[in-house]
Amino acid sequence: MTSSKSSLEPPGTSREGSVGQTEQPDPPKHSRRTVLAAVGAFALLGTATTVLGGSLLNPPSSTEDGDFSGETLEFLIPLASGGGTDTWARFIGTELTNYVPGRPGFAPVNEAGGEGILGTNRFARSAKTDGTELLVGTASTVVPWVLGRSAVKYSFEDLKPVVVNGTGGVIYARAEAGVAGLQDLINRDTPLEFGGISATGLDITTLVAFDLLEADVTSTFGFEGRGPVNLALQRGEIDVDYQTTSAYASAVAGIAKEGKAVVLMSFGQLNDAGEVIRDPNFPDVPTVAEAYETLHGKKPSGEKYEAYKTLLGLTYTYQKGLWVPQETPENAYRLLRESSEKLGTDPGFQEKASKVLGGYPLVADSGVADRVRDAYTVSSSVRSYVTGLLADKYNIHVE
Amino acid sequence: MLDSAMAALASLADPSLLIMLLIGTVAGLIMGLIPGLGGTGAVAILLPITFGMEPPQALALLIGALAVVHTSDTVSAVLLGAPGSASASVTMLDGYSMAKKGQAARALTLAFLSSMAGGIIGAIGLTLAIPLARPLVLSFASPELFMLTVLGVALAAVLSRGNIIKGVSAGLLGLILGMVGTSPTTAEERFTFGSLFLGDGLSLVAVALGIFGLAEIASRASQRRGQKETITLGGGWGQGIREWLTHWTQVIRGALIGIWAGVLPGVGATAGTWLAYGQAVATAKDKRQFGKGDPRGIVGPESANNSVEAGDLIPTLLFGIPGGVPSAMLLGMLLTYGIQPGPSIITEHLDLMYLIVWSFAIASILGALFCFLSVKQLAKLTKVPFAVLAAGLVAVMLLGSFQEGGQLGDLWIMIILGIFGWLLKSTGFPRAPFLIGFVLAIPLERYYFLTDSLYEGFDWMARPGVLVFLAILILPMIWAFMKFIRARRKTNLDDGHRDEQPEDDEAPLKNSTWSLVASGIFALAFAAALISSASFSPEARLVPQLVSIGGLVFSGILLFIEIRTRLRAKAGRAGWTLDAGFALKTFVWMTGFLALTAVFGYLIAVTIFIPAFLLVVARARLKVAIIYTGVLYIVLLALPSLLPIDLPQGWLNTLV
Repeated sequence: MTSSKSSLEPPGTSREGSVGQTEQPDPPKHSRRTVLAAVGAFALLGTATTVLGGSLLNPPSSTEDGDFSGETLEFLIPLASGGGTDTWARFIGTELTNYVPGRPGFAPVNEAGGEGILGTNRFARSAKTDGTELLVGTASTVVPWVLGRSAVKYSFEDLKPVVVNGTGGVIYARAEAGVAGLQDLINRDTPLEFGGISATGLDITTLVAFDLLEADVTSTFGFEGRGPVNLALQRGEIDVDYQTTSAYASAVAGIAKEGKAVVLMSFGQLNDAGEVIRDPNFPDVPTVAEAYETLHGKKPSGEKYEAYKTLLGLTYTYQKGLWVPQETPENAYRLLRESSEKLGTDPGFQEKASKVLGGYPLVADSGVADRVRDAYTVSSSVRSYVTGLLADKYNIHVE
Repeated sequence: MLDSAMAALASLADPSLLIMLLIGTVAGLIMGLIPGLGGTGAVAILLPITFGMEPPQALALLIGALAVVHTSDTVSAVLLGAPGSASASVTMLDGYSMAKKGQAARALTLAFLSSMAGGIIGAIGLTLAIPLARPLVLSFASPELFMLTVLGVALAAVLSRGNIIKGVSAGLLGLILGMVGTSPTTAEERFTFGSLFLGDGLSLVAVALGIFGLAEIASRASQRRGQKETITLGGGWGQGIREWLTHWTQVIRGALIGIWAGVLPGVGATAGTWLAYGQAVATAKDKRQFGKGDPRGIVGPESANNSVEAGDLIPTLLFGIPGGVPSAMLLGMLLTYGIQPGPSIITEHLDLMYLIVWSFAIASILGALFCFLSVKQLAKLTKVPFAVLAAGLVAVMLLGSFQEGGQLGDLWIMIILGIFGWLLKSTGFPRAPFLIGFVLAIPLERYYFLTDSLYEGFDWMARPGVLVFLAILILPMIWAFMKFIRARRKTNLDDGHRDEQPEDDEAPLKNSTWSLVASGIFALAFAAALISSASFSPEARLVPQLVSIGGLVFSGILLFIEIRTRLRAKAGRAGWTLDAGFALKTFVWMTGFLALTAVFGYLIAVTIFIPAFLLVVARARLKVAIIYTGVLYIVLLALPSLLPIDLPQGWLNTLV
């Protein structure tokens, strides 16, 4: 545009000064030959560049040469910014790019919508397959896939996990709603109001926990994210909420200390034997399984408990992950995975991560793909119980 | 407290910090200039550079960019009528009108000075609001947030130029368009006709640039000569500053509204800028000039949209809930330094908080100063024949819009909406409410749903905040309705003078077959929305049905008026004017450009479209066309390597 400005009337000349307001005649038409010649010449130039210099315009990825220098790792975060998944992805992304040979740039992209389904659909449809575009997978996108919802146009079978990481969470309640401890969850005069994003997302684990505990809770879905739910609880619009570990410090710790909120239980973690154990980040908080014992005087069992354990693994212990398309070249994939493994075992990172992530291990060893596949297998009885719960209690028919 | 503030200021004397601040400011200004990129683009490009820096340097860089994006995004809105962001569409109302009168320099001067003041007041507000932020955020529950979104759309509909029925219809249609995609409450797809592409919803950049930018290009591409006389600031900058100073109360009011709107996460920024405009109109004694170049219409909103960014930092830092994408990226950066946002940030990182405040204020001053110094140069842009600018603008806007989703479909949507925007503009429909409706559709539905399910019956209506908003909402409506009735009565007295402004050069096709067609399209669209929403689940169809029923009522009235006018004025106005022909021809050119892109890729399309358009449509000199295309060609070659920008690929590229 600078060229056109300078080559038109220079500001100093005032040959039009006397013309003033009167309409100026249009400049004359160009002859057809001039137009054709000019357009033709440029078209030729453009075509030649496109055909010969394609590499200049779209620098080919050089991710298979054991080096990501000059590349940018784009993380597709299918959820709104500011939540637990977003925090996680940005932290991991920033650290990971320092460990990938060639130190690529890092570009987190939030594509929120449809509880993460839209962004993930988009990734499955059009992600680059050279290892520079990574999907941030999270419970919100895993659960609808497991339930087989029709809106889901992706499959985790078409993706390869680079690294997976667990998280934990706590269920807490508003003190003013008349909750002082676990006992206040049952036999209530007025049920507690739970604020959710969507029954078919990460909320499902909490809903199954409530069903297992026979807690007196009603639910409202439609919130934008967990941050807004936390604010709604502080405003008194809802009574019960849960937050994941990484958001615990900014969302729950403060109000719990002030006595405005009561931490009721943690989701716990699955150990290698598949049993629920206390969350290392909340060693003093009883797990959902312990809460059951406190409330009902016996150990939990049956299909509800089995469903809870499956969902706990899927949505917490193996909750978050970075995925690349299955077609990603093996060299590029291995480089990313090994860099992640190096990152996860670095004591310096572990120390830093303990502050932000709460010290859940970063799993990126060579067996990661197989283990994740096992965890991502759901038995038919669990599936039918969950879809039944959604249909009977929440009038949601998974289609 | 004062000690830390002073210590933070002293640390800014460190040259490395100052340089970072300067780089950030310049980058922010440049990104703001390009329609479609804006704050998100600025932070996205700078973020990778901050890795490895110390937190203060990184913060200075990002805050510098964030503080000034809304200073320079005014330029394209004022000079070209193409707002790059939804909030810049407010400044456009009066700024663009002023520029078309040859007073571009005056409009820009007012805007830049207001931006600077808004930034400084925002920074002060950021400091003062820290202790107040929590009660403020917590006092706004779902009903208030719902009312705020309603207020945003309604104010835009009532206050935009043009008649109120057209404004409301446009706002409602914007709402419907915003609901294309996934429902916020039930996650089911609506109005997508099974298309995955539409399932993502329409891209904001494509909608904004289509409805305003391309429409503007089409209606002005026939101008082969530039504006000859630009009214210079007689008395130079001194007078500009003096004029601005007479509006100081508007500046402060606008900035305060901006801070408040920024503090509320989610819906604030767009609605807040409109509230600033709304209060400027409401408190003015003489309202006639609004929309036609009233300085008060520039000063208030421009001050507000900068202070919004400062206000936005409050929930970002204190709650970890960012109000926009740029502040979300800032949040990400803080986390990587182990700085955990939350109420404790004030006690643990007070020095950084003050560094943010100072950086914001200094960057606002620097940014406005740079822009202010270049006002004269920028205003000269209006001397360039619009047709010559149009060629490059089409190329830049389509490229900018492609960056968001990387889909050619977005560009087709953009051209279709461009034609629709041109029709709206020519037939006297305000377009701002359409865009605001589009932006606020999902928050409006979400908070309506939450309000409805969390509160008993209509109890929420009695909340004091809601009552205040209702009053703000209803009073101007009554006022506008009275005006409408009065205008109608006058019309009935002397027939033939239906238009109060018959020489409305903004809307040359008012009361012609075109406006009849436009009203028909509105009615059809609402009817179609109503019918197709019948298949949604009850929760997902409630709001679309309410909106489309309202839309049917309003567009029905419009259609009735139009048909009656047509019947009365038998001769009517010419259906096919020269300008209309030219505008549609321009759209054919754009379609051709996009078709070329789809087949041959973006680069070849540019090298064919630009010289052809310049020579045939703009009739620019051959030399101009060659240099113009040459420069653009080189820029396009260099761009993908310099910035994270992708050129659209065509069918040919898949072969090579």
